[in-house]
Amino acid sequence: MQIEISRRRFLKGSVALMILGGTALSGADILAEAMSKATAAPAAAKGRRKVATICEMCVNKCAAIAHVEDNIVKKLDPNPLFPKSRNMLCARGQAGISALYDPDRLKYPLIRAGERGDGKYRRATWEEAYKHIADKLGKILDEEGDNRSTIGYCAGEGLAEHTFKSFMSDKFGSSNFLNHSSICLQSTVTGYTLTIGGYGIADLENARYVIMAGANRAEAILTPDTMDLFKRTRGRGAKLVVVDPRYTNTAMHADTYLPIKPGTDLAFVLALTYATLLGQLYNKEYVENNFQDFEKYKKHILDSGYTPEWAEKITGIPAGTICKVAHDFMAAAPQAIYYQGRRTTWSKNDFQLRRAMALFTALGGGVDVKGGIVFGHKLPLGDHAITAPIYANAKGRIDKDAAAVVGSTGSWVAWRNMVAEGKTPYPVRGMFVYKQNPMLSVPDTAKTAEMFRKMDLVVVIDTMPSDTAMFADVILPECTYLEREDPVTSFAGTEPAIALRMKAIEPMYETKPVIDIMRGLGETLSKPLWEISKKHDEDLQSELEDRPEEEVYSEGGYDLADAYQESQEDINHHMVVAKHGEAAWRILRDKGVFYPQMNEFFKKLSDNSYQYYPRNKKYYGVLKKEGEMVRDDSLDRDCETCETCVNPADIAPTSRTYSTPSKKIECYLGAMEKRGVDPMPTWHDEDYVKVPKGKYKFITGRHAHFTQNATANNIMLLELMKENYVWINDREARTLGIAFGDTVEIVSPVGKVHIKAYPTPKIVREAIFYIHGFGAKSSLQTFAHRNGASDNEIIEGIIEPVLGCAIMHDTLVSVRKV
Amino acid sequence: MNYAMALEYQNCINCQACEVACKQENGVQLGADKQRIWVGMVEGTIFGRPYANIYPSQCNHCLEAPCVSVCPTKASHYGEGGIVKVNPKQCILCKGCMEACPYDARFVDDTRVVIDKCTFCDHRIAETGTTACQATCPTKVRTFGDLDDENSDLVKLLKTRRFFVQKEHIGTVPKLFYLLPEDEAYAKQSLAHTTDIHTWEEIKPHYDEARNRRSKEWKR
Repeated sequence: MQIEISRRRFLKGSVALMILGGTALSGADILAEAMSKATAAPAAAKGRRKVATICEMCVNKCAAIAHVEDNIVKKLDPNPLFPKSRNMLCARGQAGISALYDPDRLKYPLIRAGERGDGKYRRATWEEAYKHIADKLGKILDEEGDNRSTIGYCAGEGLAEHTFKSFMSDKFGSSNFLNHSSICLQSTVTGYTLTIGGYGIADLENARYVIMAGANRAEAILTPDTMDLFKRTRGRGAKLVVVDPRYTNTAMHADTYLPIKPGTDLAFVLALTYATLLGQLYNKEYVENNFQDFEKYKKHILDSGYTPEWAEKITGIPAGTICKVAHDFMAAAPQAIYYQGRRTTWSKNDFQLRRAMALFTALGGGVDVKGGIVFGHKLPLGDHAITAPIYANAKGRIDKDAAAVVGSTGSWVAWRNMVAEGKTPYPVRGMFVYKQNPMLSVPDTAKTAEMFRKMDLVVVIDTMPSDTAMFADVILPECTYLEREDPVTSFAGTEPAIALRMKAIEPMYETKPVIDIMRGLGETLSKPLWEISKKHDEDLQSELEDRPEEEVYSEGGYDLADAYQESQEDINHHMVVAKHGEAAWRILRDKGVFYPQMNEFFKKLSDNSYQYYPRNKKYYGVLKKEGEMVRDDSLDRDCETCETCVNPADIAPTSRTYSTPSKKIECYLGAMEKRGVDPMPTWHDEDYVKVPKGKYKFITGRHAHFTQNATANNIMLLELMKENYVWINDREARTLGIAFGDTVEIVSPVGKVHIKAYPTPKIVREAIFYIHGFGAKSSLQTFAHRNGASDNEIIEGIIEPVLGCAIMHDTLVSVRKV
Repeated sequence: MNYAMALEYQNCINCQACEVACKQENGVQLGADKQRIWVGMVEGTIFGRPYANIYPSQCNHCLEAPCVSVCPTKASHYGEGGIVKVNPKQCILCKGCMEACPYDARFVDDTRVVIDKCTFCDHRIAETGTTACQATCPTKVRTFGDLDDENSDLVKLLKTRRFFVQKEHIGTVPKLFYLLPEDEAYAKQSLAHTTDIHTWEEIKPHYDEARNRRSKEWKR
């Protein structure tokens, strides 16, 4: 390029991170690539066949085999070859067929014919829908002087998420991206990463002592954790301590169940740490060799008086129990884990809680060791490079100052509040939504609706007419996971593998995979948007003075469709063959799973167990060179991106030791202190939300039968649980005159819901609970429509100060029978 | 062939993957009360502290099946390997078998207008060697197999572990073997005081005898 790169104002956290590989291919190269056909076999029309695929009913990605008869998917069976899911499919995985054949699926592109939210749409052709978007988008961008960030975008987790994201950030050029991280697992991922160098994987196949606080692996299924743990509980190798305000299905498998007051976990962990330090129970050799600022931390914990007796008053857990847990944990260490958990951010101190948990685990030495938190290995894949145009007028994200560290996945609540309240540094006038449903997934639904009502263009790409789709101007129907091939994916772990989702049947109705949608959208948008950039972008104007327009357009990547010309099959072929050769590709397409030496290593040991890697070939202890399991090629550890959805680069700048093998356990975060964050986990009484008389703390959670709000219309799953009920302590219910099945009204500062009651001794007295994902308002979903209640209608839209994550468990509510 | 199943019920997390797998595999009628297979849960409190026990279950494919004996039209019958089945053509929906079954393993399929029940997925045994519920189970509760095969995982398990069966006193000689939890406290929590615990060695003659008595009726 003739224009100096320094003249450009890069989109921070966007372009630089998103271009894969060292060199960017030009559009012409990509087109040439497309000419060479890969081995994609066309689906046979008639007869029986088996297609290897990957489940997308939740985020876990279990390998499955689809049994197809005359182009109808008849049955899904688990694929035993995949080490991560080890021959299992849960209820939701089995119900994937009901998602595929859901009569309420989005079938055709739709254009809004009524008011936002009222569900009135007219059927349109794809061309019409693209044109409608292009017209509106062109007008907005022209008025905003080609500031691409005036259009926000969000995506739900999935194998095709990156395809959408790359279009919106790299090609279209907006910096305002949001995903589920800040309403999900960002605080625990960041907390563990900044402390022990990675979020890691809890090795529950070998751990001897596990503290599972708030996490619920029996009902929030995650592989291989769920499978490993519940074969080893209660006298079978793993001691399990469950700390939870609710007696969950996980708690019933625990050796010790400790009911805790919501929002007090940090006090519990600090007291465990106190008992460990005071009693000198920790692994002295490990601490000596691996801890940074240990003395500082020790002094801080002991001087602050975080005694078990102090914690008993706050948490409700007896001091003697806390001491015993600390003793037993350290006696089992390093095969002892304070389980990281996933959907987190319960209260304001969540980041510090995760740090304290990580440090407590590390005190026993249970990091990067078999039976502790391990980092595993990830098999490499080739690059798929695309050319990203650079837009001089695209501004940085609006929520970057909402918390101490806001990464490229944003703070959903802060972002939403800014737009809804009109407090953005520049107008945010539209949103592209892929596979996410913020109307149900982001706290304070009324405010999310307010945000959408303010926008001039909302585009939703989804398989179902979600509540969010009801706020769209244009709805683009994506096909389900059983109707498409998705980007090939490498899964990190102690037994790493590559797995592939292949198309079981052709897309039904007029639905399309997201890569086709991006291509179609790109083809329609490129030229009109190019004209707008030419009009407003001075850098581009000066570049055009030196070079012919055609050349700048094509080589600069302004043809937005150029990255999506190759078929997904061809891209996957290239990515696999680049690193593992043609033979690997053939195995992968045949079996759905590949890892080196699979044919030699994989063995059926019994009806219920398989060997994936021989014991001495598993990737434990990848940081220690002297370990016998380690081979030289296993030392490149970038296992974080695929497992956690949090961009490691977002975390990197705040940690001087991130992800570097020889570095240490961080007790004291000086870089964070500069941003106004406690450098060491500290309890602040004033941050704890007390529960006044007559009020309850509302807590929410997941369930083994439903995935967030995405499966609420699945008839097969509704058989397992028809609707959600509110858990209320049975003694509290008695005083309120509430019996099982009574309808109650729950009122919070931001909303109220009606829901049926489930009085039970299985929840502490100060909390009430119901499962997330119900209470959809979309009238186009027959079974989900107004079935049960949505948690986010009553959860307040507030964030914790470190990462901008939504606080989920600090909303006070009142309950009455109606 | 003498098909049976052992259940490591301590592993069960009540995720009900087995129920959905069964419905999808066998095209069972929709409806929460139309189940060939189910997960039972018993909860309560002991001195104010909650507890819960989970018992996955399905048809026991009894060697002395009262549902077969009671059927007036011989619609209920033994299939290959002693699998208790219903011939829809002969079923007159008298529901006598539903009354007779002590395990409540049968229900009316309103779509086909017959009694429906678990078949141990006999249509897929030849191809996959196992049932849909066993294959899909995340925590691998079930081991399906042939009691006649001394080398099967099933018989190996029964030989090394102790177990109980449900409603033994009725004399149905059921073939769902619940494996006694290895943890004594857990076993105590999930068993009745009166539950008889067995070993394979001790109970095998009884099962062999019942098998010899009724297997003449088995279809091959």
